[in-house]
Amino acid sequence: MGGTDRRDFLIKLGTGAGACALGAQGVASLRSLAPNVSYDAPTTVKLGPPAEFSDGLKFLADERLFIFRNGNTFHAVSAVCTHLGCTVRAEALPKPETVDVGGSPLQLTHQFSCPCHGSHYTGDGVNTSGPAPKPLSWYRLSVAADDGQLVVDLAEEVGRDFRLTV
Amino acid sequence: MAQQPPEAPGVRSRRFWSLRPRSDRDAGDAITSNFLLHAMPAKVSNASMAWTYSFWLGTITAALFLLLVLSGLPLLFLYVPSVERAYQSVKDIEYVVSFGKWLRAVHRVAAHGMVIAVVFHLARVFFTGAYKNGVGRNQHREWNWVIGVVLLLLTLFLSFTGYLLPWDQLAFWAVTVGTNIASAIPWVGPSVRELLIGGREIEQATLIRFYVLHIVVLPGAVAALFGYHMWRVRKDGGLARADREEQLETPRTVPPTPTKTYTLLGVARGTAPTVTAKTLIAADTTVNAVPDLVRRALIATLGTIALISILAVFIASPLEEPANPLITPNPAKAPWYFLWLQEIVTDTTIHLGSFTINGAFIGGVILPGLLIGVLTLWPWLDRSPREATGEWFHPARRTQNLVFIVVMVAILLLTYIGMEMRGPYWEFFWPWETWPSLPSRI
Ligand code: HEM
Ligand code: FES
Repeated sequence: MGGTDRRDFLIKLGTGAGACALGAQGVASLRSLAPNVSYDAPTTVKLGPPAEFSDGLKFLADERLFIFRNGNTFHAVSAVCTHLGCTVRAEALPKPETVDVGGSPLQLTHQFSCPCHGSHYTGDGVNTSGPAPKPLSWYRLSVAADDGQLVVDLAEEVGRDFRLTV
Repeated sequence: MAQQPPEAPGVRSRRFWSLRPRSDRDAGDAITSNFLLHAMPAKVSNASMAWTYSFWLGTITAALFLLLVLSGLPLLFLYVPSVERAYQSVKDIEYVVSFGKWLRAVHRVAAHGMVIAVVFHLARVFFTGAYKNGVGRNQHREWNWVIGVVLLLLTLFLSFTGYLLPWDQLAFWAVTVGTNIASAIPWVGPSVRELLIGGREIEQATLIRFYVLHIVVLPGAVAALFGYHMWRVRKDGGLARADREEQLETPRTVPPTPTKTYTLLGVARGTAPTVTAKTLIAADTTVNAVPDLVRRALIATLGTIALISILAVFIASPLEEPANPLITPNPAKAPWYFLWLQEIVTDTTIHLGSFTINGAFIGGVILPGLLIGVLTLWPWLDRSPREATGEWFHPARRTQNLVFIVVMVAILLLTYIGMEMRGPYWEFFWPWETWPSLPSRI
């Protein structure tokens, strides 16, 4: 009688210990796959002296970013499609038009199209057709205090009225 | 002179088992004494072995999997899973290694073939109502259907993980678009994607993840589940076609068969020998699994391997420019079996006033989720009578067969549109129209 009790207990103990060990192994193995650090590129990037940008648009492949210059004002529009993250392409408009963007006039020289599912955006990044759910992001531009280079902050989105005047 | 030891039961003098049994007993023995064959029943009904019943699509799928493992082995020695060297190593396989081009083509053609075969197998099972339970007590064919759905998903995922390995533009952008769909899931999406690709960008962490999934985890899972799949077929009393046999024929009297040791359904129900036999148990409607079933399985397997080997001579494997995260090809397309999803993802962004739902969420998550869910639960939604088990296009299942066909045709159509009718910027072109030539870079 005591014998069966003991056997029962030992079976449960053994099974329980085995299950705990397996469970711990499993949890540890799975957890090890969730990254703790991400070696992302820095979000503030120096882009070069403002003088190096000619009037109009420049595509920066590394940052996936369009920099626009109009005289002495600059702004930056993301090239990452808001649908599924492909890189949009810029196409020059036959003739530029000036529209009111966020209260200040802006000369639109291009429009954007996405090769993945065909979203289209106007030159200030507003989605006009296709599956893109929202406009392209605008990022803050500034001038570096030390060497006067143009700096973009890819972590800080700004409104479409943003202009950097140099 | 030394004494001959007595004969002992289970001790065999022959070096191998026999595939040419001389008696029923020999045939049964050939199964129970062989590790590879022991999963088979001793007897199979003629009807369930017919080429035109199952078209042997499951066997063909398994043969393709076997071929993928075999052709994957040499690739495994040659391929280097690092972002610096993956592309170069695949290029070497393609242009430098002896027979490398062919081996790679065999692997690729078999992979695409397996996706096709597994879908055809599913369609066959659906149209024959083979997930239904016929005559036996405690049959659970619906479980095998669910296992089948998991095997389908595993096959797709296997192929998708393999797609990234060459690390060319095709691979990189297909996986970019594919994994970005995951991030469209509300709240958890970005974390799911991060776990899938091991970070926030597709790079080394992603490659090694996909690689390990591709060569160990997923093939292992497929092999294990396939074993269970086969075991369930046995425990449900064989193919559904055998049940049908049992249901429809009127019992007739056959002379008792003195040598009978097993029947196909003997394990699941009742014992032989019978005097008033239903057709299944009658000697003239069944054959020994060894050699008849084995012979057909071998024909299907070798035929598949031969066909793929020949096709691989003529079908070249694509290898585009090395992956470049900075330049999206135009148009950028997913692997063909996901093109219907890419097509849906393109068309389903919804604007409700100021509120927008990303098409990636509807087309990439909700719709496929629903489809898989309904597919999984279908055996419980199907209310047709037992008689509809194991027959092609049984009238009682007409409506559901139609629904299935409509969905399949819709998927095929979307796939075709995605494949042939989408040009730069995913714009619509008829197949006979030429795409405008655009600068490939800015
Ligand atoms: C159901 C099983 C499998 C499927 C559907 C599958 C599918 C694929 C696909 C689509 C590729 C990309 C090939 C290309 O585009 O060139 C690939 C590559 C590869 N597979 Fe598999 N595979 C399977 C099983 C295996 C197994 C079992 C192994 C190893 C034992 C393996 C090893 C490899 C290797 C090393 C590559 C990279 C070489 C290359 O890209 O040419 N695969 N696989
Ligand atoms: S990723 Fe740009 S339209 Fe889909």
